[in-house]
Amino acid sequence: MNGLLNISPVYASILVVMLPFFGFLMQAVLGKKSNSGNIGLATIILSVCVSFFAVFLPVWNGAPLTERMHWFTVGGKPFYVGVMLNNLTVLMQLIVGIIALPVHIYSRAYMRNDPGIHRYWMFLSFFCFAMLGLTISTSLLQLYVFWELVGFASYLLIGFWFTKESAVQANKKAFIINRIGDIGFLIGIALVYTHCGTVDLGELFGPQGVFLPAVNADGSWLTLAGLAFFLGAMAKSAQFPLHVWLPDAMEGPTSVSSLIHAATMVAAGVFLLCTIFPLFNETVLLTIAIIGCITALSAAIFALGQYDIKKILAFSTISQLGFMMVGVGIGSWDTAMFHLATHAFFKCLLFLAAGAVIHEMAHFKATHQLDIDPQDLRNMGGLRRYLPTTFVCMTIASLALAGFPLTTGYLSKDSIVVQAFEWGFHLGGIYLLIPTTLAAVSLLTAFYIGRLLFKTFFGKFKFAEKLQKGELHDAPIAMTGPMIFLAACCLFPTCSFHPFDYHQSWLLGGFHVKTAFAAVAEMHSAVPLVLTLGALAAWGVGWRWYVAKRYPLSKNNRWVRFATRQGYFNEFYQLLFVKGTEQLSRGVYAFDHYVVDGLTRTFSAATRRLSVAAHWFDRHMVDGLVNLIAGTTYYVGHLVRHVQNGQLQSYLGFALTVVVLGILYLIIK
Amino acid sequence: MITLTHFLLVSACIFCIGLYAVLAKRNAIMILVGIELMINASILNFVAFSRYDKTNYGGQIFALFAIVLAAAAVAVGLAIILNVYRQFKTINPQNIHELKD
Amino acid sequence: MEQFLFYAFAAMAILSALLLVSIRNTARALFLLFIVLFAMAGLYLFALADFVAITQILVYVGGVLILLIFAFMLSNKELLADLQSTSQRFMSLPNWQSMSLSLAFLAVLVYSFIAWTKEAPEWMARAQADGSILSPTDDNIQTLGLKFMTQYILPFEIISVFLMMALIGAAHLSRREGSR
Repeated sequence: MNGLLNISPVYASILVVMLPFFGFLMQAVLGKKSNSGNIGLATIILSVCVSFFAVFLPVWNGAPLTERMHWFTVGGKPFYVGVMLNNLTVLMQLIVGIIALPVHIYSRAYMRNDPGIHRYWMFLSFFCFAMLGLTISTSLLQLYVFWELVGFASYLLIGFWFTKESAVQANKKAFIINRIGDIGFLIGIALVYTHCGTVDLGELFGPQGVFLPAVNADGSWLTLAGLAFFLGAMAKSAQFPLHVWLPDAMEGPTSVSSLIHAATMVAAGVFLLCTIFPLFNETVLLTIAIIGCITALSAAIFALGQYDIKKILAFSTISQLGFMMVGVGIGSWDTAMFHLATHAFFKCLLFLAAGAVIHEMAHFKATHQLDIDPQDLRNMGGLRRYLPTTFVCMTIASLALAGFPLTTGYLSKDSIVVQAFEWGFHLGGIYLLIPTTLAAVSLLTAFYIGRLLFKTFFGKFKFAEKLQKGELHDAPIAMTGPMIFLAACCLFPTCSFHPFDYHQSWLLGGFHVKTAFAAVAEMHSAVPLVLTLGALAAWGVGWRWYVAKRYPLSKNNRWVRFATRQGYFNEFYQLLFVKGTEQLSRGVYAFDHYVVDGLTRTFSAATRRLSVAAHWFDRHMVDGLVNLIAGTTYYVGHLVRHVQNGQLQSYLGFALTVVVLGILYLIIK
Repeated sequence: MITLTHFLLVSACIFCIGLYAVLAKRNAIMILVGIELMINASILNFVAFSRYDKTNYGGQIFALFAIVLAAAAVAVGLAIILNVYRQFKTINPQNIHELKD
Repeated sequence: MEQFLFYAFAAMAILSALLLVSIRNTARALFLLFIVLFAMAGLYLFALADFVAITQILVYVGGVLILLIFAFMLSNKELLADLQSTSQRFMSLPNWQSMSLSLAFLAVLVYSFIAWTKEAPEWMARAQADGSILSPTDDNIQTLGLKFMTQYILPFEIISVFLMMALIGAAHLSRREGSR
């Protein structure tokens, strides 16, 4: 084993990045012939192995490594491209790889027989390349390049079924909203470059992780830059109010949703904030915390009202990303990374399990030719009898999401909430609102995931009378295998051997974050207890409402409708931006049509009149004058011409006349 | 005694008649005749002035020269008229207008 | 008597000349020219130029006029017809343009002669004063012969050669093309 480890982690990490790229190229060249996905799978397996053994193990808790080479020079300032390896980046790279691997395996079964399967594998490899490259970038510019590539891969995969109108709309929406964030990112890079003269992360933050000392007094640009970076992260991590693209992104294949829109890409925003954390000052951090809090709350509320199984999970993702943002905002970005890691596993698992359910429902629908939505919760129920493995996996993931003890979710979520409370107590007053909201949101989380679980797997199957024996069954091993693997990863031993104390986690131990607030001992026991009990209560209510059929609210309840329609955000955006743009363009069109074109037309008419007049003048005056002169000359010549009649006598007569006249003149003179 | 003025007036009259013939006649021979008249008028002037030039006799001498020249002119002129007639089948100068543009 | 004769000759010359230019018949015109030339010769006599008068008669009447009449008579019959077709009248209406031009020229000449005679040239006045003017008794012919052979020998020779050239040229021109 040690022989393998002899290669430098830097080159190993480059290999990790380039392997999927190689797979992408291979599949792009092979085209339709490469629809088995073996190439993509092989490259990602190799990539993960290298990532774990040759990169993660040597670097973790070791000295950070940076290798860079000159890329280009602008105005005397060199730009570098390279690899930066520290605890944060290698962890992120490993997470991406480990999540991507089961998704690849799962996809082999899930996407089988899809007509565009070769494109799917190509895009998936491309995404892995971009995401793995993003994690280890050494400069902000390089990071930005991969950031864009990731966004582009996401765009391609959301619109994978491009014949579906809604998928096309969704990928357009995602692309446009990500553009807003990218502008923020770019402005941030520009600001940093302007003030620090470098975008190299190593130079900016140094080995100690403190921001360049050059920037001290005036922090206004720093605030601006921080907010700009946060805007980028907001769009990528679907933070309120730029979250609208993520629920629509569920139009892509479920496996893609699990990899890109749940576990990895959306976490890139959080990863970015963690990477450049020393850049943020108090104002920006507070903004991040507030936005994260609002996102967590609003998304949790919207998740309550959804019927589409994937949309619930999407809002859940947004909500959890809000948690991570709060983690960053309160200054303990280590907890955010921790939650990111655990969340990646259980959210990926939730999606894969949901995919398995949808897979079966779609088969059922096709067999019986029903006109139902296979993703709609209302068409499910009682599935635990038919899909026991899926049920178990989903339950574990739900427990993790809801933050029950013995799961990773319990540890990571509690770490955030506890830190938030400590932060709140440290600042006091109104700041306590944020941790309180977070606590409430985690109860809501428990409730909506309980609702999903109960409506899907408990109760009675809606079409039970049509169901033939053995028709609904567990997915093949290619799909359940990855799910079981992920479910195992959702349990506490993955990150800590102590099931209740997140401080024992090796993951948190890898980051040395000094928080400004003091630890409050009581919170470490009170918060988990309250949250667990609350979650239990929430599940109890869910059981009572959805399984025992004692649903107290009417369907047309205003709040239910509000949540179902996702807070009317899409409608609001439609009204504000789409209709606004339409109105604006209509106005501009009218202005263009009547004022600009009118002016032009007036000018052209005037010009035409003028030219007619000029033509007339030219024809009758100028030409007339010339013709008059010519005519006069011609006429005079015509008259005089008679003199030259060739008759000698006439010539003589004329000559004599002149002589006589001359003599007369002499006489008279 | 006939004064010089008498001769001059007569020669002027003859000259102008000759001039009229040259200008107005429609016959080349008559034009030639007109020229002869004009030459005669000038000869008359020569001899009239010759009275006052006893030493040189220039007037009479050149009168004789003029007569010889007139004879030569008539000879050549008639030859030319003959050729013109051969060329144009007419001796009316109005019908001979090759010079017309 | 001398005055009367001069006027008679002058009148005959002028009237014959006028008739000559007015008449339509070329043959008659040529005979009228005959009269004019005789009258002119008579006028030369009044200017005491007897040899010139004789030469006039000899060369003009005997040479030029005969040449003209022969040329006219030898020319084509169509020539006469052509000329007669232009006018049926005995005397044609004079061309008013040529008429007025000639009259104007006459007026100019007469005016200038009258104006000139008032102040005659100095050499004429001196000759009159010396009395060295021709007299009817002078031997003109001998003097002319001497002058030709002495003082005017060069013009005389030149005019001889010129006359010969003119006659050869006339003979050459009047040759028929076909007779060559």
